[in-house]
Amino acid sequence: MKKILSIVIALALCLTAFAALADTIKLGGLAPLTGSYAEYGKGFQIGWDMALEDIGAEGVNGHTFEIEVKDSQGDAVVSSTLATDYAEDDDIYAILGDFTSGACKADAEIVDRYGITLLSPTASAPDYAGMSPFCFSIMGRQDGEAPFLAKYVLKKYLGVTKVAVVRVDSDWGQACFDNFKVQADVEGLEVTEEKYSASENDFSSIITKVKAANPDVLVVMDQGEPVAKIFNAADAAGWDIQHVALGPGTSEQVVGMLTNPDNIIVTSPFFFDPNDAELTAWKERFVERAGFEPTVHPACAYDTMMLIKTAVEKIGDGKVTREAIKDALTGMEMTGVTGRILFGPEGDITRDYMICGTENGKWVVLKGFDFVNE
Amino acid sequence: MSTLKNLWQKKRWIFWLLIIALLCVPPLLKILGIYKVKALYLRYACNIMMYATLAGSLNIINGYSGQTCLGQAGFFAIGAYTCAILSTRFGVSFWVLLPLCGLASGLIGLLVSLPTLRLQGIYLSIVTLGASEIIRIIAQTASITGGAMGIKGIPYPWLFGLDAFRPEYYYFIFLVLGILFLFCTSRILNSRVGRAWISIREDQVAAKSLGVRTSFYKSLNFVYGAFWAGVIGCAYAPFVNFIESSQFTTDKGFDVLAMIVIGGQGTLVGPIIGSAIVTVLTESLRFLGVWRYVIYALIIIAMMWLRPQGIAGATNSILAGGKVKRKPQKRKGAAA
Repeated sequence: MKKILSIVIALALCLTAFAALADTIKLGGLAPLTGSYAEYGKGFQIGWDMALEDIGAEGVNGHTFEIEVKDSQGDAVVSSTLATDYAEDDDIYAILGDFTSGACKADAEIVDRYGITLLSPTASAPDYAGMSPFCFSIMGRQDGEAPFLAKYVLKKYLGVTKVAVVRVDSDWGQACFDNFKVQADVEGLEVTEEKYSASENDFSSIITKVKAANPDVLVVMDQGEPVAKIFNAADAAGWDIQHVALGPGTSEQVVGMLTNPDNIIVTSPFFFDPNDAELTAWKERFVERAGFEPTVHPACAYDTMMLIKTAVEKIGDGKVTREAIKDALTGMEMTGVTGRILFGPEGDITRDYMICGTENGKWVVLKGFDFVNE
Repeated sequence: MSTLKNLWQKKRWIFWLLIIALLCVPPLLKILGIYKVKALYLRYACNIMMYATLAGSLNIINGYSGQTCLGQAGFFAIGAYTCAILSTRFGVSFWVLLPLCGLASGLIGLLVSLPTLRLQGIYLSIVTLGASEIIRIIAQTASITGGAMGIKGIPYPWLFGLDAFRPEYYYFIFLVLGILFLFCTSRILNSRVGRAWISIREDQVAAKSLGVRTSFYKSLNFVYGAFWAGVIGCAYAPFVNFIESSQFTTDKGFDVLAMIVIGGQGTLVGPIIGSAIVTVLTESLRFLGVWRYVIYALIIIAMMWLRPQGIAGATNSILAGGKVKRKPQKRKGAAA
């Protein structure tokens, strides 16, 4: 009995010693857990947790990882206050987040001054990452996806000339439209634009108005529920027109809400291919935890954690510091859940896009990444 | 006790100096290296002082002249954008911009007030709400305001060679502006102008019959409230270093309104209390997630029910600097 007891004690001591030796890389997470972007914030949190689970308790090079997530509400002032708190905490090695480009831009000066990495899963403003060598983003830029929509989806794939754009009246919606319009003018597309506020629910009058312009295609620039509501309003008005969306990606929620689910085309840098066993398993794990289908956003959050892990691997036997993490991330290349990630000189990435549509209510790839070369 | 009371009544400035000295303690502890006060708490303190002044500027309109403005976020935005544009494009000094932003905002306040002079209550609220939205939409679409991308890299103010990026230094900017606002406003409220505003609030028809030029004073009231919203907007822009239109939605206007509802309208101290309560509650209950908004709403409902005038909203409130009503004493020999 005494022998067993001493073995147990010895094992416990060994484990304690091992735990003491393992250095914990503590990260600060910024996500909108409340407010109008709460769904995405929750997705971030689950994405990060899943990544920590996959990294495992053994960690990398003797380093384990943990993340403390705070609710930024998607608000620039709150986000910058929380970023300051993380930046002042010497135990925090890097900050993951925030969701909106606006919040990230408000944090940029802070992370630059304190010398701590801010790695956003979703900031897509073209001028964000260049604000500091410590700013990174992996979403792809608005000046990449919106021109792709004009050039490859509308002009090359659909071959239309008259386009009605209905978009959310937000910084994101405005930036998307601005980038889209520049390319649409180059392609010779005739564009009609209508805006709506984020709190709007009834789109019947907007549909009546854009229908009068007699366009060839109806484009919606927004994310989530409003996309489905606008297309449903068009269906309810008896308007038989091709639906195209920029923003929701291959969202299962959006398709589930559509009255005509087989009439939507989207641009997406990422697709949960049902033939890919790994991706399907990832998706199922996410659904199990979240209770809803993932979009590209939580997958990006997952990848940001994996990028930090890869950065620590790259540092190897060197000392892991804030500066070392930034240096390791600069120019880094990694293949994550969302595909290939290669940081450009400004700290963001250029994504390739594919054209996705639906068949029998299920997302399918209509044209893959090679379409731009065809 | 009576000595203290006499001192309060005769030498009130001593108390104010004491309060100001106490307010200087937290950042000084950090600056002098005596105690490392977390930057997070200093930023919260900056937020409290900023919102106290912004809520105070709304209180001038809603609390002192009885007009109903819901568009303070718009005036705040004018100040912030004026500062951001002039400092990033032309390198104008922050200290020159402070009054300039106030004047720009005051001018817009005048323009908004003119067509609303004949409006009251809900109609006036809707017009001011609309004006705020127009300002935000212009900010979101115009190229000079950076459109949807906003304006980044707003320079920090020159502060005698100190790094204003650090909240322990920026704290003093908000503190000085808050004190200046309270001083100017208290002087104005005790002047002919302030009395005219209050008379309009109490009874506009009676005020007019007594010779008060109600249209003029109502416009002046709007201009003054907008001026201070512009000044504090000017201080806000470098503080956050980046502004965009989504920071000035009507929600911001309602948040500020909630502060004066909780703190109390028609008193100088009400917005300070409201700002402190809302900020502290929002931050300290962050761990509750969305449930903190339920608590926040319950507090507002409870306030409406138990104390509709707000914590310091009554003139007889100790917090408002007034006297507590005494129970009438029975006269000697009065019949039982």
